[in-house]
Amino acid sequence: MSGYNLGTRSITTIAVSVLIGMAGAAGSASAATTTVNFISAQNDDVFEPVIAAFEAANPDIDVVHQTVPFDDLNTAVETRIGAGDGSIDVYAADTPRIPAFAAKGYLENLDDARARIETVADNAVEVDLVSHDGSIWAYPMWTSTQLFYFNRDLLEQAGIDAPGGTPEERLSWETVVENAAKAQQGGATWGLMFQQVDRYYQLQPLFESAGAGSGLVGDDLLTPELTGDAWVRTAQWYADLHEDGIAPRGISPSQTDDLFAQGEVAYFVGGPWAIGRFNGIEDLNYGVAPHPYFADGEPVSPTGAWALGINPSADNKEAARRFVEFATLTREGAFLTTKNFPLPPVNQEAFADYSEAIAAFTPTIGPAIDIMSHEIARTAVARPRTTGFVAYETEMNRIFSDIRNGADVTESLEQAQARLARMLPRQR
Amino acid sequence: MSRRILRTGVAVFCALAFLLPLWWVTISAIRPEASIFAHLSPPGRWTLWPREPTLVHVLELWQGPFARAIFNTVYITAVTVVAGLVISAMAGFALSVIRFRGREAVFVVMVISFLIPFDAIALPLFGIMRDLRLQNTYTGLILPGIGNGLAVFLFRQFFLGIPKDLREAAQIDGMGWFGIFWRIYLPLSRPAIISAGLILFVFQWQAYLWPLIIAPDPDYKVAAVAIAQFSDFYGVRYGLIFAAAFFISLIPMVVLTAFQRYFSTSVASSGGKG
Amino acid sequence: MMLHRTTLVAVAFLLPALVAVAVLRLWPAAVAVSLSLDAPGVDGPSLENYRYIFGDPLFLKSLTVTAAYSLIVNPLQIAIALLLALLMNAAIPLIGLWRTLILLPVAIPQSVSAVVWGVGLRPDGPINGVLNTFGFETQRFLTSPDQALASIILIVSWIGVGYWMTFLLAGLQEIPKALYEAIRIDGANRWQAFRFVTLPQLRRTLTFVLVANTVANFLIFAPVQILTQGGPQGSTNLIMNEIYTRAFVSGDPSSAAAATVVLVILVLSVVILQFSLMRAPEDNLA
Repeated sequence: MSGYNLGTRSITTIAVSVLIGMAGAAGSASAATTTVNFISAQNDDVFEPVIAAFEAANPDIDVVHQTVPFDDLNTAVETRIGAGDGSIDVYAADTPRIPAFAAKGYLENLDDARARIETVADNAVEVDLVSHDGSIWAYPMWTSTQLFYFNRDLLEQAGIDAPGGTPEERLSWETVVENAAKAQQGGATWGLMFQQVDRYYQLQPLFESAGAGSGLVGDDLLTPELTGDAWVRTAQWYADLHEDGIAPRGISPSQTDDLFAQGEVAYFVGGPWAIGRFNGIEDLNYGVAPHPYFADGEPVSPTGAWALGINPSADNKEAARRFVEFATLTREGAFLTTKNFPLPPVNQEAFADYSEAIAAFTPTIGPAIDIMSHEIARTAVARPRTTGFVAYETEMNRIFSDIRNGADVTESLEQAQARLARMLPRQR
Repeated sequence: MSRRILRTGVAVFCALAFLLPLWWVTISAIRPEASIFAHLSPPGRWTLWPREPTLVHVLELWQGPFARAIFNTVYITAVTVVAGLVISAMAGFALSVIRFRGREAVFVVMVISFLIPFDAIALPLFGIMRDLRLQNTYTGLILPGIGNGLAVFLFRQFFLGIPKDLREAAQIDGMGWFGIFWRIYLPLSRPAIISAGLILFVFQWQAYLWPLIIAPDPDYKVAAVAIAQFSDFYGVRYGLIFAAAFFISLIPMVVLTAFQRYFSTSVASSGGKG
Repeated sequence: MMLHRTTLVAVAFLLPALVAVAVLRLWPAAVAVSLSLDAPGVDGPSLENYRYIFGDPLFLKSLTVTAAYSLIVNPLQIAIALLLALLMNAAIPLIGLWRTLILLPVAIPQSVSAVVWGVGLRPDGPINGVLNTFGFETQRFLTSPDQALASIILIVSWIGVGYWMTFLLAGLQEIPKALYEAIRIDGANRWQAFRFVTLPQLRRTLTFVLVANTVANFLIFAPVQILTQGGPQGSTNLIMNEIYTRAFVSGDPSSAAAATVVLVILVLSVVILQFSLMRAPEDNLA
């Protein structure tokens, strides 16, 4: 009656368990050295120099860098760091997101390194950018600014003078748009383009320059204010640029550099890191000038960039901190992070080396380093520091995208304001 | 006769229309990056045939992390299909052949539970898996694929149609339930196995949201996720994307072609006919 | 004694599947419900998250977009799949090849199809190239609030129609030829044969396809996340994308959980409705 064929059954059961067991075991690996896992939105080659130098000096530590696309980085932090995943030790945190991350416990408290960080940065604003609620949460690595790139050939073709490189010769947006349209008539495919289209980082200076402010007010900066006259006017200006065909629709931030590099754009607002890319293109004849401003407003440039944070649940915190401190607090390390990716380091000693390197380009493209130093010192306005920043930025990027695609400006801003008014208090 | 020709013509036309995007992908994969978009508008003789074929994208693709991604996808899909078939066939058998109290209730509960759409509970499931430290593991990737209500339903349906005389005869001979399952029902179930296998295969090969959140580590990344991330800081690498798309499609192409003549069992059919 | 042992055996056969149901469906569903009742800034369980999402115009828009999408895409895909199945249910030369070609897109990961079609629908892409040749203007497709959802429907249909066609084809091939002969003898034409033989015989397969397709369409995510992120102006913000954005991008998991619960209830209701509508009186599910 109970004639179970034990042979076949056991084999099947074992086979299945082995398969599933193999599935689990297949991924494990044992390492003789300590491995530090580091994620950022940059390509591997950006951090290659500093990692190589660090590993040479620390043969017992292996630093493994993983690229996570910029748009997926929030998700990665939320799902991995937020989940207590110890497999990420170090991650690049965009400075305005630091208050939100710190509040959620995604960053290791670094107050014990405060003295060293403050000495090296020598800049209260930069230290503030990695702080929240009185503590320091990340090692400042880079700061940023923007340059106004222009294609010499396209401008010449249209009979437009190249913009001058000193702050006094800064162009107004009104002039730029006029010239851009002329350049298009002269043969340029596009007159003007922003590198990080639809992103708050790139567009905030427009609103600040027009006197509209950052969009957030109140204590804790959790109250949205987007429907004032200046906001609507400036957003309309951005919309019109695309409606009138001066700037392209449907292009994403990862495609913008390509278009300028291919010689299709007359004016391009982008970060200094693009110099590395553009210098490598043979027949691209370009120059740089200061970031434009609205004629009846102030010159404003964006700032703030990536800092390196330590995961509180990291498997290898000690080794991670050694790497990060090499990459940010030492002159050599900090400079190496900018070698393949020319962003100004916060580390002041490294900044001196960086200036020298960039100054070498002045004869061909214009006084890039002078413009950058001036902007960082005089016109930089950082993104609002609030725990609600991630939610705010997500919503604003969505609205900018809609506006670029032709949505009604007033309506979009009103909707955003209403949504944010309910969304932001939840981020407190 | 002419109706047959017309019908053939329409059928071929439809098939080619579906193929066209894949064809374009394939030839774009062997074009130099700069000319991928060069011959599109207006379409000409070089739209659907590469002017200067090159293998540069293919070579670059296989030297990068993509090789690992494809391996991951193939591996987890294979395990999912095998484990999923075992589990669904066993469950389908119990729900159709073995008589026990509460059988219908269990069936209804199981079907309704599996109707809870997987992607919708992916986020809370992620939290659970993470607590079990299953993120960035093959187990974490495979598990959601092996419990598939459609496959259970299919097997149950199929087994219901196998005449019970076979089973009764075997029981008189002293065979136990497992023997009946393994030696009598399964061998008769090739159509159901293949159809259920297809369902399991498609589920895992198509999976995107789940692998995206549970296995972002490059060692465990699956091909579907890797390809969506083929844009680096310097721009979107279309040549690589298309080359990857070609290879990701090649494997299922082979599998489907090999098995397509077996997809003749409908979900309403029973083993009685086959 | 016999009954008891039989039950044990049945449990043994069912155990893996039951564990899968519990761990992979019921437990996460319970977690979602519990998380959805935990609102930030509120102590103890409350319905605050639900009040929040139902007061959020973007979420409400997501529901209407998902509903509109569902009402269009399901009948459309099934009609096309049925037509293709009828077409392919013939002994044409190389019929296996043609059927496979139509089925092929389903085996390609959705993300790949999304990326490829995204490129194809660009202003400088091949679709616009063909349109331009025939004298039509370049269309905006994915960047137009009026065309984006239709573009998503196109992409999703290209991917899935072959899959459903395969099931319908199998169902068609099982209809006994004798039934067709009988009704022909009675003088029926092709349309009547279709109505009175094909459709009723196909009912169970059609039910399966309808239910499975509806569920699948409620879960569409990859093409939206990759191509439009819900835009332009929320016109493609299908509900899975909305949930994902809330949970992972904006960092508000509890409202995402509430949205998840709403989605699950929605899907279950629609499926139960479909099942009961498609049931014939003589049907016995056992």
